[in-house]
Amino acid sequence: MNRADEIKTALDAAFSPQHIEVIDESEAHRGHSGYAEGGESHFRVVIRAPAFAPMNRIARHRAIHAALGPALIGRIHALALDVSG
Amino acid sequence: MTDATTQIKETVTANDVVLFMKGTKEMPQCGFSSRVAGVLNYMGVDFKDVNVLADADIRQGIKDFSDWPTIPQLYVKGEFIGGCDIVTEMTLSGELDQLFEAKGVTFDKDAAEKIREANA
Repeated sequence: MNRADEIKTALDAAFSPQHIEVIDESEAHRGHSGYAEGGESHFRVVIRAPAFAPMNRIARHRAIHAALGPALIGRIHALALDVSG
Repeated sequence: MTDATTQIKETVTANDVVLFMKGTKEMPQCGFSSRVAGVLNYMGVDFKDVNVLADADIRQGIKDFSDWPTIPQLYVKGEFIGGCDIVTEMTLSGELDQLFEAKGVTFDKDAAEKIREANA
């Protein structure tokens, strides 16, 4: 399973989202700090789930960080989040 | 409390606006840090930049302090506001203006409007 699939699986399980996209944007960061050969370093997640509706922005991001866990977050360089309820 | 935690606490207490970032406001070392520093610079906000790449203890310490795994991190009057995505969203929605107004932080409202016009 590649990292995008790992991210998607973890978020599917935690939030049962109505919509989720996990985009590997690593190629766009080639040559920048944090880019590793082979990619899988920079990700963008677009997610919409009712679970996020009552949360403020910080709580939404924290819930996602918690669902992914420190091990997975530690292996990626950047995680851009677009979260809605 | 570790030295890093003490130092972070003192920094966010002594300065109204603090950006923990990779690089400096003059020379950011990461696109996400660059974006937030750019917004604050453009809005004429007087802020303290802390380069986490210059100090490994602060780099880990700020993640623990905020319970937030990524850099940059913005603090206003000692309160954690968010990272790049949150600051960008708040800039475009006008919430950042409201926050600065509520907290008594001086900024250029016209510049903020220009950012929103350019991204409308």
